[in-house]
Amino acid sequence: MPIERGCAMPPSTDPFYAGLGQAVRIGTELLAALIVGGGLGWVLDTYIFASGQWGLVMGLVLGAAAGIRNAYRSAQRWQS
Amino acid sequence: MEESPLHPFELHDLIPISLGGFDISVNKAVIMMWVVVALVTVLMVMAGSARRLVPGKLQNLGEILVDFIRAMILDTMGKDGMKFFPLIATLFLFILFCNWLGLIPGTYTVTSQIIVTGVFAGAVYTLSLMLGFALHGLRFLGILVPAGTPGWMLPLMIPIELISQLARPVSLAVRLFANMTAGHTILTVLFGMVVSLPFYVSWLPFAATLFVNGLETLLIAPIQAYIFTILTCVYLGDAITLHGHSEHAH
Repeated sequence: MPIERGCAMPPSTDPFYAGLGQAVRIGTELLAALIVGGGLGWVLDTYIFASGQWGLVMGLVLGAAAGIRNAYRSAQRWQS
Repeated sequence: MEESPLHPFELHDLIPISLGGFDISVNKAVIMMWVVVALVTVLMVMAGSARRLVPGKLQNLGEILVDFIRAMILDTMGKDGMKFFPLIATLFLFILFCNWLGLIPGTYTVTSQIIVTGVFAGAVYTLSLMLGFALHGLRFLGILVPAGTPGWMLPLMIPIELISQLARPVSLAVRLFANMTAGHTILTVLFGMVVSLPFYVSWLPFAATLFVNGLETLLIAPIQAYIFTILTCVYLGDAITLHGHSEHAH
């Protein structure tokens, strides 16, 4: 750790804060990917292909996958 | 008498200004941003002016903050990341003090406006994209292909990776905005109870208000500022090292 002197424990080195930070991160990670996936699908449906609901459905599925991937990725980063 | 629990988030123009068709009126949020900028500037300049070997109180605070931000950058981006120290430090201190000052009754929490957090997140993400393309050219698009993906998986993996990339600024913006809004809504509801209940029970929500305010001050405000900045570091670091898809390789 590159901290020579620290009176208060800086959160990035304190496992409690690091864990708490991690915990509040992952939920939004899932949500944001769903919003983006669904939103992209909806835009494709409405403005580009006029493809009914298929874009939205596929977008939500891919968004869910991307969200899980993001959550998985941030958990892995934390472990290393 | 019932007011919406969201009424603290409403903004009213205090000084209406219109410039070339744009509404640049001064409202509470704008004033709060000025206050935060002035406070952070004065605080950090004063903390940095003494430079004693044995630091005083203010210098100590400044050193803790600077050390903390430096550790965050070195942890996530390594030595190269120190170029971004001014940006990261500004972001961190601004968000931290916006979160903190907003907890003082009567003030306004700037970070509870999604336009504010959204602009920050968008700017940070745009910077990381520009940095990635400037450093690596078109090879930067390789972040859309996870390491070791078999060829037949590509049509599936590229859209997923694209969405997971685009979700980054959204999650940055939504996380900060949602946490701040939720916290202040809870405080408003609780304090509304204090006002409307008879005195022999109103101490209960009042105690809860104090507790939630303390929780917000000590945990939520610093942690949200910390998460926003450390993810900024991570995204910029990914753009520099081109390792967004395989950061667990080491």
